[in-house]
Amino acid sequence: MNRWRPRAVALCGALAGTALAAMMLLTVADVVLRAVINRPIRGMFELVELLLACTFFLALPAAFLRDDHIVVDVVDYVAPRRVPVLRRLAELVAIVIIAVMAWQGWKTAQGTLIFNDVTADLEIPKILYWVPVLVGLIGGGIAAAVMAVRPGSERSRVERAVADAPGQGRSGPGR
Amino acid sequence: MSATVIGVLGVALLLVLIFARVPIAIALSASGLIGYAALDGWPTALKMFGIVPFQLASAYSLSVVPLFILMGAVAARANMATELFQAANGVFSGVRGALANATIGSCALFGAICGSSIATAATFSRVAIPEMRRHGYDSAFAAGAVASAGTLDVLIPPSVLLAIYAIVAEQSLPKLYAAAFVPGFVLAALYVLAVYAVAWVRPDWVPKVPAMRVIERLRASVGMWKLGVLFLFAVVGIYLGWFSPTEAAAVAAFVAVVIGLGSGAMGWRGLLDAFFETVCTTAALFFIVVGAFIFSRFIVLTQVPHEIARWALAAELNPAWILLAVTALYVILGTFLDEVSTILITVPVTLPLILGIGYDGMWFGIFVTVMCTIGLVSPPTGMTVFVIQAQHPEIPVASIYRGTLPFLAADFVLVGMLIALPGMVSWLPNLLKL
Repeated sequence: MNRWRPRAVALCGALAGTALAAMMLLTVADVVLRAVINRPIRGMFELVELLLACTFFLALPAAFLRDDHIVVDVVDYVAPRRVPVLRRLAELVAIVIIAVMAWQGWKTAQGTLIFNDVTADLEIPKILYWVPVLVGLIGGGIAAAVMAVRPGSERSRVERAVADAPGQGRSGPGR
Repeated sequence: MSATVIGVLGVALLLVLIFARVPIAIALSASGLIGYAALDGWPTALKMFGIVPFQLASAYSLSVVPLFILMGAVAARANMATELFQAANGVFSGVRGALANATIGSCALFGAICGSSIATAATFSRVAIPEMRRHGYDSAFAAGAVASAGTLDVLIPPSVLLAIYAIVAEQSLPKLYAAAFVPGFVLAALYVLAVYAVAWVRPDWVPKVPAMRVIERLRASVGMWKLGVLFLFAVVGIYLGWFSPTEAAAVAAFVAVVIGLGSGAMGWRGLLDAFFETVCTTAALFFIVVGAFIFSRFIVLTQVPHEIARWALAAELNPAWILLAVTALYVILGTFLDEVSTILITVPVTLPLILGIGYDGMWFGIFVTVMCTIGLVSPPTGMTVFVIQAQHPEIPVASIYRGTLPFLAADFVLVGMLIALPGMVSWLPNLLKL
């Protein structure tokens, strides 16, 4: 498990990062084309929205696998012995919540597919917007389950912030 | 059971889950779902639960968030912090407290571009604290100055926190950024005054450092150009009508990449790391936004915010008491909750109350953001304090908290000014006719 976890994190990061880069470059191209030849890119809003869904959701499993979610850890100082049990319970709640979200998203996406909804300008099938959402939620659920059964302890938010600060070594997926 | 009681129980469930170490995003989603189901039945609640992530994932207004975070991640890797610190040192050189004031000035500008208090504190902790200690500054005061100055980013545009507030409170982002300018730079000025006050009371904590020569000052000040260019595209471009906020964020992120790679300050590995850090931060942040929207749908359904506002009006409470209560609420929340969650959880409840006593959403955005700067250095979980302590374990946490006290006083002076002079928020937006 320790071997493929960094690879899964890297894959999610690469997919979401590509979407983010595309969003940045498309927006810059739109601004330049508008300013220089007064011909903005058609359907920019719809393209940015699609790429935004990819950026947010494709990175979600990586956020779970890296323990990036924000947690209030006051209990660590008050009752440190209860932390392992609480952590497992919290992970269980997370798995249930993401599973319900994915299940309900799947049901709504099916409706979009049946009615063949498309966007107004570029006529992009709306089901395409659902793909990253569902991939991210299902992947996030699996990642949460993996983290629930992992051995060892997580790093605190402070430890991660210090490690991620520039000049403190690698902050990428391989760390 | 009445809707109000269910609302109160929902908030209680949220707090229990948060303190039980459930990730904030999940705690918000779970309590929002259960509360909504209790009010409107499971079928409607589940339908809402499935649709909210999709609606938010493709909300154009949210695209500004990852792009500004990317700009900051690139700026942090392109050595801009060190250059800026040297430039600010050149500006203040020769006066007592020059290094501390250079820290405040460079943290304010770097933090504004970087967008993360934790990253700003972590970066300047290595850049500024060793330099101040080398010149005989008191360690606790040096650490306190960095911990406090690191929080200025949440207020000075382009602030990611204000972008999130704009989404949750349905406010105009250009207007909010304009509104934040005066309070942001007033707070930086108050921090500078705090340094002078400390230097006056305890000159041994803040020794005078020999002045730099004019040529050295000029050479150092050249280092400011990179952040100046980013600021031009990220903020000034919006008001000159060049870009929308999303376009400004995209262009500024692109320019940061070009500067970073072009100047050789950042390699391709650094660029990939910046993208990777951005998408992971964005995913975690976005999941909190999803949870907060689910929770706020439940809270709106309970009518609790309007009940509170109605009760406050019926009781003819003095607005000063309401403001005091809201201030106390944010001080308490700041002791254990991060700034994004604080805004996302509370604004749907507190905004109607504040609107009811005659303030507007723009003013409240600035007020609540200033309260978040206080939360970032508040014990027992002041994040910037812990980040500094992790890098300088020889400085005790209690000492760093002591070092932040003069700056904490400055924060509360600004809170008082905002309440007494609300015009300082609306002055620039009115001047720019926004």
